[in-house]
Amino acid sequence: MTHTRTFAIFFSALVALAVVAPPRTARADDDPPKQEELPRRQANFAWDKNEKTKQTLLRASFSYRDVIDKAMADKLASGLPTVIAMRAYVLREGEANPVALAVRTCRVVYDLWDEVYRLKISGPGGERDSAALNLEGVLRQCAEARDLPVADRSLLTTGKPHFLGVIVEINPVSPQMLAQMRQWVSRPAGSTGIGPGDALFGSFVGLFVRQIGNADRTLRFRTQSLTP
Amino acid sequence: MLPRVRRLAAIMAGIIAACATRHASAGPLKTWGAEPPDPPEESQPSPVAPPPPPPSSLGAPVGDPGEAEPPAPRPPVGPGGLRYMLEGIEVRGNTTTLARVILRFVPFQRGAVLDVDDKELQLTRFRLLGTGFFRDVQLSLRRGTKRGFVVLVVDVVERNTIVVNDLWLGLSADAEPNGRARPLTAFGGLDVSEQNLAGTGVALGGAIALADRQLALRTRLSDQSFLRSSWTTEAQLLYNNAKDFFGNRNALVDDPTQKVAQDFAVVSYRRFGGKVSAGHEVGSVATRVFFDYRLEKIDASLPLAASHKRGLDIEPIDFDLPPGSSILSTVSATLVHDTRDEPFLPTKGWHVLGLAEASLTPLGSDYPYAKLVLRGSRWMPLPWDHVLRLEGIFGSVFGNAPLFEKFYVGDYTDLRPHRALDLAFDRRAAPNFFNTAISEVRYGDYAARLNAEYRIPLYRGRQTIYGVDFFGSVGLYAVANGRDISRPARGYSGFQKMPIDLTFNLGLRMDTAAGGIALGIANFLGFIPIRSEAQ
Repeated sequence: MTHTRTFAIFFSALVALAVVAPPRTARADDDPPKQEELPRRQANFAWDKNEKTKQTLLRASFSYRDVIDKAMADKLASGLPTVIAMRAYVLREGEANPVALAVRTCRVVYDLWDEVYRLKISGPGGERDSAALNLEGVLRQCAEARDLPVADRSLLTTGKPHFLGVIVEINPVSPQMLAQMRQWVSRPAGSTGIGPGDALFGSFVGLFVRQIGNADRTLRFRTQSLTP
Repeated sequence: MLPRVRRLAAIMAGIIAACATRHASAGPLKTWGAEPPDPPEESQPSPVAPPPPPPSSLGAPVGDPGEAEPPAPRPPVGPGGLRYMLEGIEVRGNTTTLARVILRFVPFQRGAVLDVDDKELQLTRFRLLGTGFFRDVQLSLRRGTKRGFVVLVVDVVERNTIVVNDLWLGLSADAEPNGRARPLTAFGGLDVSEQNLAGTGVALGGAIALADRQLALRTRLSDQSFLRSSWTTEAQLLYNNAKDFFGNRNALVDDPTQKVAQDFAVVSYRRFGGKVSAGHEVGSVATRVFFDYRLEKIDASLPLAASHKRGLDIEPIDFDLPPGSSILSTVSATLVHDTRDEPFLPTKGWHVLGLAEASLTPLGSDYPYAKLVLRGSRWMPLPWDHVLRLEGIFGSVFGNAPLFEKFYVGDYTDLRPHRALDLAFDRRAAPNFFNTAISEVRYGDYAARLNAEYRIPLYRGRQTIYGVDFFGSVGLYAVANGRDISRPARGYSGFQKMPIDLTFNLGLRMDTAAGGIALGIANFLGFIPIRSEAQ
């Protein structure tokens, strides 16, 4: 019977420790905020109706310039490539699963001899090359979303408040993540709905609360609510 | 008056132009302002004079820029991105580590074309971080002395390089030299290394393990880039003054030096020797192969004869060591594939190790044997931020290996102290939850273990303690000799003939600036009476 008693002690200790231990995430000095604790940021929303397709798109404009601090500015000017990747999830208030996603990536390389930042911007609808003569130009093109198509109106529930949950990463290390984002931005403009099999799909907990530590810098925020 | 005004205006215009030029050459960070409507053409020549050459003290570029090729046209912008001619490499921020040590990990040569999208740039950063010498490494480019030329700048932030590789503390139950059982003794040990000796990149390490009348010492010197090559080399000296305990039950020992009846047959032996190793990457940074040669002398003192009860039969004890002096000489090859994201608290990745060792009997080794070990671990992050680790180990020894090269049951159950520096601290048989023949086995020729570990992060920090995780693990293991399979001990039937049992542990894993520490309670649980007697 002695080994039965040892089993009992072992499993009692296991259960006790599991109860005492935090259920989900580590108590950390750099824990990400929870859904309701995400910093709020103002965004401008506008409806864009396409007469030809009869589609109504929700467009959003917001800034995430603060992702570029002094250290990141130095990195942008390092002459080596830097990627600024932004994901904007459309979520219903109080629900965990996003209904739509818009992705925008910006690859910045400072040309040391021509003194110009060379940009490759990927977003809903495709990819384009651009340039900026200074950091302000980089911020304007790569750290701001202007009239970004985020969701088709048909994806939103009338009368229910929605908001954007935004994650901005600088140099996301995971190649899979970058590949997924490239795949996403190749979708036609306006088709931002998320299906169960889509890449980058996840719940709020997975996307925003889980610690993201693979990028050089990560910024997370949510916008005010919008009720269609 | 008018000519004076014109002259003054000309001087002012000149000063403004000069100021504008200096301002522009100060670098992109100082050129904040509005973006002009159209970017300049790719081929537009820069209106800015090249900056002065870099400083020539420590951290100077490799090679003399003056020796660079005559002005060459700017390498074209390829499909992958911008390309430059590499004028030199500058190392900054190193106060202890020699620049040449850092440059060993930078696979770029002066005069070569540097593509900013070259994956080697990122790999270089990871290689340098992987040395353990630096807390941070950043690569950047700055303009060279001629158009199209750049200097690769490697900025490093050094870290503490004295690392505790291992720490052992625990309680064991051993036996007196006269073979009488003792209930409790303490053991301990420490493995420390300076990873960057005097900034040369050479690591000097030492380890000690202590128990009652047992001592093990190791000292090693390793160079991650031997003679500036891509080979890692290591030399190690070892000394063990060890003892081991044999006898399942009813031990009878013929030892003329002992006057009292003995509970265990005690073997004392000394080992002294050394090992040299060489390692190299295979295909990628994550995979390495190591080749070892080992030579040591063993002096063993054994009882004249001893027997014990195995199952229902009384059998002589095989000590797996010849009495007197003997020589052990082996070569081995180890392949390691490591894709863990962190060394001590990994959340994802693989660690796979394959070892093949052969004793060089024709060259004088007294132990004709070969050994194979395959060990694989996979860490998987769970959606709720916990981590699951699955581990599998399989090992096999063919021939007559010395006892310290065989598979020790205590290394496979967490409820007995593992060996440290090959010292076995505990005389007890393994716990026996399943009432199998596992309690008849101390050293085996075959071993296998399947284990699952669940980790819950409790704390993450950036200062002295990087992380603390609670862990719980459970697994099955088996240790057997050939005869345990072909001729199982009598008294067991069915499944019980198989020397298989359960192992588990609970505790904390901590990643600290001084190294990783694991605190488990299995060692103490092991003292709770658990059926471990043989049949």
